[in-house]
Amino acid sequence: MAVTAPVREHSTDTARAEPPRSAGRRRARRRTYLWSYVYLAPMMVLLLVFVVYPIIASLGYTFYKWDGIGDPSDFVGLDNFRQIVHDSIFWRSLGHTFVYAAFVVPIQLVLALALALVLNNKKLRFASFYRTLFFLPVVTSAAVIGVVIQLLVSNFGDSINSVLLKLQVIDQHVDWLGDPHFALGIIILVGIWHTFGYNLVYFLAGLQTIPDELYEAARLDGAGRFATFRYITIPMLRAVGVVIVILAVIGTFQIFDLVQVLTSGGPFFATEVVNTYIYHLAFGGSNANAVQPDIGLASAASFVYGVLLIAFSVVQVVVLRSLAKRRAL
Amino acid sequence: MTRRRVVTAMTHVALLVSGLAWLYPLFWALGSSLKSDDDFFTDGLNPMPSHFLWANYLNAWREASFSRYFMNTILITLGTVVITLVVTSCAGYVLARTRFPGRGFCLGLVSATLFLPHGYTIIPVFDLMQRLHLLNSLWSVVIVQASGGVVFGTFLFMGYFMAVDRELEDAAQVDGANFHQTFARIMLPLSGPMLATVGLFTAITAWNSFFIPLVFTLGRPELRTLAIGMYAFIGENSTEWTLLCAGTVITLAPIILLFVLLQRFFVNGLAGAVKQ
Repeated sequence: MAVTAPVREHSTDTARAEPPRSAGRRRARRRTYLWSYVYLAPMMVLLLVFVVYPIIASLGYTFYKWDGIGDPSDFVGLDNFRQIVHDSIFWRSLGHTFVYAAFVVPIQLVLALALALVLNNKKLRFASFYRTLFFLPVVTSAAVIGVVIQLLVSNFGDSINSVLLKLQVIDQHVDWLGDPHFALGIIILVGIWHTFGYNLVYFLAGLQTIPDELYEAARLDGAGRFATFRYITIPMLRAVGVVIVILAVIGTFQIFDLVQVLTSGGPFFATEVVNTYIYHLAFGGSNANAVQPDIGLASAASFVYGVLLIAFSVVQVVVLRSLAKRRAL
Repeated sequence: MTRRRVVTAMTHVALLVSGLAWLYPLFWALGSSLKSDDDFFTDGLNPMPSHFLWANYLNAWREASFSRYFMNTILITLGTVVITLVVTSCAGYVLARTRFPGRGFCLGLVSATLFLPHGYTIIPVFDLMQRLHLLNSLWSVVIVQASGGVVFGTFLFMGYFMAVDRELEDAAQVDGANFHQTFARIMLPLSGPMLATVGLFTAITAWNSFFIPLVFTLGRPELRTLAIGMYAFIGENSTEWTLLCAGTVITLAPIILLFVLLQRFFVNGLAGAVKQ
């Protein structure tokens, strides 16, 4: 999160550092400003047109019933919002998104921190090779991983079934991705696997900022491993840890690819998350629950979700910061 | 010290075994891509094919349109990387080096958008592309993807250029270099590592992107990328398992190779971003 860094304000402009003395210098400065705008323009255009404008525009669509063809003309006021707030599937998909985050984030963070502590040992050879192994899923496409998992499940699902039946863990055949109880669990497992590497690298980066002298001093004081971890590693990781938690939570709330490929939100909306819910509203369902595209409704859902996310992020930042400040973590 | 050596050896064994097990789904897909349909079902969890059947790749490449998907993905990735690098290096440079009026406003706007949740604004972008008559073209995917990454790239370049010694530029200006020459001949060549970091980030994101190409190629199967092709294929011909595994390898291998070769830049970029 580069933004949280205070921008270092060097005195960067020579023209400002020493007041302009001649018209020539003023002209040169004006030329520099002009070219600065030219250099900045492409970035600002992309930002304003494709990031800022859509935020404002999507609010406009929420007042119309519109299937996305032609111009929106059927003004319905706040009906779309009313419909969303009363749609049980919206709340269920919000619930699934929270469940997904509630499982993925803690499990991932604990595992990643544990592995980072092992790999951070300077005497451990091949540490960067091991890091690469565990990081690799991050660079693979979630959609393609979804396809592979589908193939794996359809190939081994029956074998696992017969083993579990024999062990009497289950009493009937389970259709892993077609069963509402198991589908979300599989998505959670794959989700943990897929983005685990980010947290590993973040924790490693955080651990490397802890000066060796601290560990050395602790060792001389006769501190054991646990005491060192509790009184040096954890406090020193606090600042980076807050950023890691926030990034992990934001990441899990964006879940779409895996769900869309693995279950498309089914069976019977048992794995529908907010982003697939919005997609199905806006572009029609890809399976049995196909519906007429309803851009207005989808925009209203997007807007409600966006507001919830922003509110949640703000609360999260405030809570985590104050916890870190009070050294409660 | 033998006890320590045993512990070290056990750590290595544990890390190696768990690391390879971690990548099992990838090994399994790689092995299965070379199996016959019969072996695919009888081999169980064993990823090793009894004999190598390359025909799966030929079928995927020729008959299942993976050659076209591959070209589309290459074009989209290259286009996105080039646009992102040009746009963000220029913007990062002026934000780091000149104090033009309005700089504070621009910085504020850029920072604010970093905090907004992404992805939920696809509908207006879709509508915009429709009105610009760019819908159902690779350009729409390239532009939308590039615009999604400009803020992050601009910040990385800005931080990088701020750390460059000011005297280099002053010397160039004394020698009569103008604004563009200073940027193109002095600053840009210095930013090689950052070009690699932002370029690799963008390439991986663009190559793996699913949501944006899905939305913008809905009506045009011939514009599908590899990821969309795989998704569509499993919907249409979900029984051709081994062919899908070949498609998986075609999709994942290039980006994994690129990452392994350049991972230093990627990991350093991630680490730098979180440490700030």
